[in-house]
Amino acid sequence: MTRTRLNALLLVPAAAISLSGCGINSIPTAEENAKARWADVQNQYQRRADLIPNLVETVKGYAAQEKSTLTAVTEARAKATSIQVSANDLTDPAKVQQFEQAQGQLSQSLGRLLVSVEAYPDLKSNQNFLALQSQLEGTENRITVARGDYNNAVQSYNTQIRTFPAVIGAKVFYGSKPMTPFQATSPNAEKAPTVSFGNSAG
Amino acid sequence: MLRFALLPALLLLTVPAACRQPTPAAQAAEPHFPTLTGRVVDQADLLSPQVEARLAAQSEAVEREIGPQYVIVTVSSLHGLAIEDYGVKLGRRWGIGSKARNDGLLLIVAPHENVARIEVGYGLEKRVTDAFAARVMREKMVPRFKAGDFPGGIEAGSAELVRRLRSKQTDREIAVEDRMVI
Repeated sequence: MTRTRLNALLLVPAAAISLSGCGINSIPTAEENAKARWADVQNQYQRRADLIPNLVETVKGYAAQEKSTLTAVTEARAKATSIQVSANDLTDPAKVQQFEQAQGQLSQSLGRLLVSVEAYPDLKSNQNFLALQSQLEGTENRITVARGDYNNAVQSYNTQIRTFPAVIGAKVFYGSKPMTPFQATSPNAEKAPTVSFGNSAG
Repeated sequence: MLRFALLPALLLLTVPAACRQPTPAAQAAEPHFPTLTGRVVDQADLLSPQVEARLAAQSEAVEREIGPQYVIVTVSSLHGLAIEDYGVKLGRRWGIGSKARNDGLLLIVAPHENVARIEVGYGLEKRVTDAFAARVMREKMVPRFKAGDFPGGIEAGSAELVRRLRSKQTDREIAVEDRMVI
């Protein structure tokens, strides 16, 4: 009798120890990681938003005819920066999609502006414009990387909280909810133009 | 009795095995990258042994004297990836530069896709800025690549990159010189 009770008592620490390898400790780690990757995403989008007024000012000086394109960029920027998603909102798909949509619209109007610039050779050889363009391209690339890293972190976290045995820890201890990944693998407008040195498009 | 005694032990053994992290799908989709055999990896066979030796010596001196690791790679195929995507993946795979300082610099030339790229570790972004990398590409490399002079373009671009890595300027002075928006 006493020995059976002893065995039953042993089960508890044994389960605790073995579960600690998966879930009890790793769920908060995975969650923090996904939130940190989200912060990277936001920083890069913020950097892009910070560059845009400079771009608009520079283009204005050379291509006043592009007024409507410039206005569209300024408006899309205002809309995009008004939507902030905190790390705790990441479990709300509607909020993440709203953010993604607003940033996507900004990407598109920015893409249209950079295409229209092709018609102004003086602007295209302006050193300030070239420096700005390279920073925007670099930022677009960093956004793509940050989005990919965030999606991987979310995927890892979401898989963990749904997989036995971590799902026990997720449900019992943390009340974990899945986080929302980005839907689109960035639309074409977000792809930075590539430096090509041949006749064929790079 | 024995069955009961075994149960906790069995739990201990089996549960941790069941919770190994699933591998992210993204990793499985990685293309076959060239092997990091040295400071110059000339998979596309664009460089003579003499040029390779000069570039390798330059890179070795920079690392020994200042720290950052500069690697030059020519690739025979990007496997359908955009060079930006390929560059980040290759940089992460190879782990160029110190892990703590993230000070790797990678020059990638893909002659068959007609593209090239300078990939900069986060720790070097204030030295080799976006604007500087773009200028080196535009002024020193692309014109020579267009003329078919790959060794000339790579050497001219590398000279600029190395000069910048060795620069005594402050980050602030560099940002001003490169017309960076801060």
